Amino acid sequence: MSDRPIVEATNVRTRLGGRWVHDGVSFALRRGEITALIGGSGTGKTVLLRELVGLERPTEGRVSLFGEDLASISGQRLNALRRRFGLLFQDGALFSAMSVAENVAAPVVEHLSLPDDLLCEVVNLKLNLVGLPLDAARRRPSELSGGMRKRAALARALALEPELLFLDEPTSGLDPLGAREFDHTLRVLVDSLGLTVLLTTHDLDTLYDLVDRVIVLHEGKVIGDGPLKEVARSQHEWIRSYFDTRMTG
Amino acid sequence: MSAPPPPVGTDAFCSLDAGPEGAALSLRGAWTLANLAALRDALARLPIDPGAPLTVDGAALDALDSAGANRLIAHLDGLGLRFPRLRLSGFGAQGMALLHLVAGRHALPATAPLARRGFGQAIGWHVMRVGHATLSILTFIGQTGQAFAQLLRRPGLFRAREFFVQLEMVGLRAVPIVMLMSYLIGIVIAYLLGLQAKKYGANVFVVDGVGLAITRELAPLMTAVIVAGRSGAAFTAHLGAMKVNQEIDAIASLGLSPWQVLVLPRLLALVLLMPLLTAVADIAGILGAAQVASLHLGVTPHTFFDRLQDVLSTDTVLFGLMKTPVFALAIALIACHNGFSVARDARSVGLRTTATVVRSIVAVILIDSAFAVAYPELM
Repeated sequence: MSDRPIVEATNVRTRLGGRWVHDGVSFALRRGEITALIGGSGTGKTVLLRELVGLERPTEGRVSLFGEDLASISGQRLNALRRRFGLLFQDGALFSAMSVAENVAAPVVEHLSLPDDLLCEVVNLKLNLVGLPLDAARRRPSELSGGMRKRAALARALALEPELLFLDEPTSGLDPLGAREFDHTLRVLVDSLGLTVLLTTHDLDTLYDLVDRVIVLHEGKVIGDGPLKEVARSQHEWIRSYFDTRMTG
Repeated sequence: MSAPPPPVGTDAFCSLDAGPEGAALSLRGAWTLANLAALRDALARLPIDPGAPLTVDGAALDALDSAGANRLIAHLDGLGLRFPRLRLSGFGAQGMALLHLVAGRHALPATAPLARRGFGQAIGWHVMRVGHATLSILTFIGQTGQAFAQLLRRPGLFRAREFFVQLEMVGLRAVPIVMLMSYLIGIVIAYLLGLQAKKYGANVFVVDGVGLAITRELAPLMTAVIVAGRSGAAFTAHLGAMKVNQEIDAIASLGLSPWQVLVLPRLLALVLLMPLLTAVADIAGILGAAQVASLHLGVTPHTFFDRLQDVLSTDTVLFGLMKTPVFALAIALIACHNGFSVARDARSVGLRTTATVVRSIVAVILIDSAFAVAYPELM
């Protein structure tokens, strides 16, 4: 079971707005890895993430989650799979009509019937795990700062105890300190909850602190795939300029 | 080899055995979120002695997640067995990490459940809300007036492009629906009056009633209701979405006045177009009535319009048209104010749009009644 990749993209091609955003992207994620998807703006990182979770379909190619081909499974089966992974949207996508605590409780309430006291216990646990101050729990997402919104969204993504976590730009919009703190929280959670994580990022510090493996997308293709140090040594022009600009800074 | 001592409590998830160095709690099965309620019951059934040292054995666990770990630690903690005092055995590296993480976070205080508002508090809250809303709309009217005065002094501020876009949106595109509605109302009124007039053989007097009813009340009201539902809702939703997107702040930060850019073009377009739309509605309504008269009441179109010219005074028509700019003003102010009051969440746009439609229709009918009472003074 541990050898089979839990996320697999095979020769994915996506046509958007008359142009091939992905032109043959393949990779597989193994259990327990933190993998970052990097690439310039507009290289279809977010689109690829949406395809992996079944929100969109690639034009060609195959995407499978937990060994099941997303193109051929029923909607019901897909929803069952969706309980096994968490997704953190770029802007949090918290439900604005609910308090933070209700947001975190929402997936649990929808999928399980827990008595109120246990539900409260689970919500408190998730808020504690992501390090959200408890007075934030009663507030609406619109009353929180960007960093707290990210944490609340992470708590919601963790609510159903997922095995797999997709994070779209987890540290964008956070100040450097907040971003490092978020990375640290994530690292602790990943190590102790045994999560597999795929994230997209523009944040080089996240890459250095957190990530086991990097996949580089450029002009629709994977131009680098491996541990950060190996990828950073690549002679590819785009990868070199990407790491050079930041390392000298 | 001696037989092991019999377990004092046993379950699908855990069992308690008396061992040589205190009790041993053995965990089994899947300690996960899905089984949380069963786990709580299983733990509650075990006669754990808080005074004696306890060993927790995780060797037989199939799965452990944070909710399960938290339940275990919370239960033992509730009995007085703090986490550091527990002896842990048989857990994998990840299980140990998870237990330590959860135990570390467990010490933090829990959130209190949300208290409901009491009756007195609810009344106070609503009074405050009405007070705030009133103050806020008055402020908005004041700011709009100020912006208008500024526009009169410096006509260069006028946003012609936005104004003409609004003319098309609220005027031209509303013509078909306004005409259709008014035409149908004309038919209905002519029918109703015709039924009565027929009894007395006074078919031609239908013209008097229809002319008065449509031009003085029905066309202006119908038009205002359609505009409130159509353009009022559109104003609020558009401005509200801009507010959510911080576009209104962006306009202000460019040194432009949101009132000049957004509010006044809409308001002026509506005030200018409402009488014109109402005039169109007058015509459509009367055409509808004329058609019923000729088909069912034996009043030929020729007779109908002759009679209409005799009995319908210009004053009546003008009175009907005169009040429509006031309707338009009320609708535009309510709609733009609601749009500007949208909070930064999705639900608020829906609430505000509903409020716009309801409040503008109420305002239109209130204004209409005021005009009806003041009619003798005005004409």
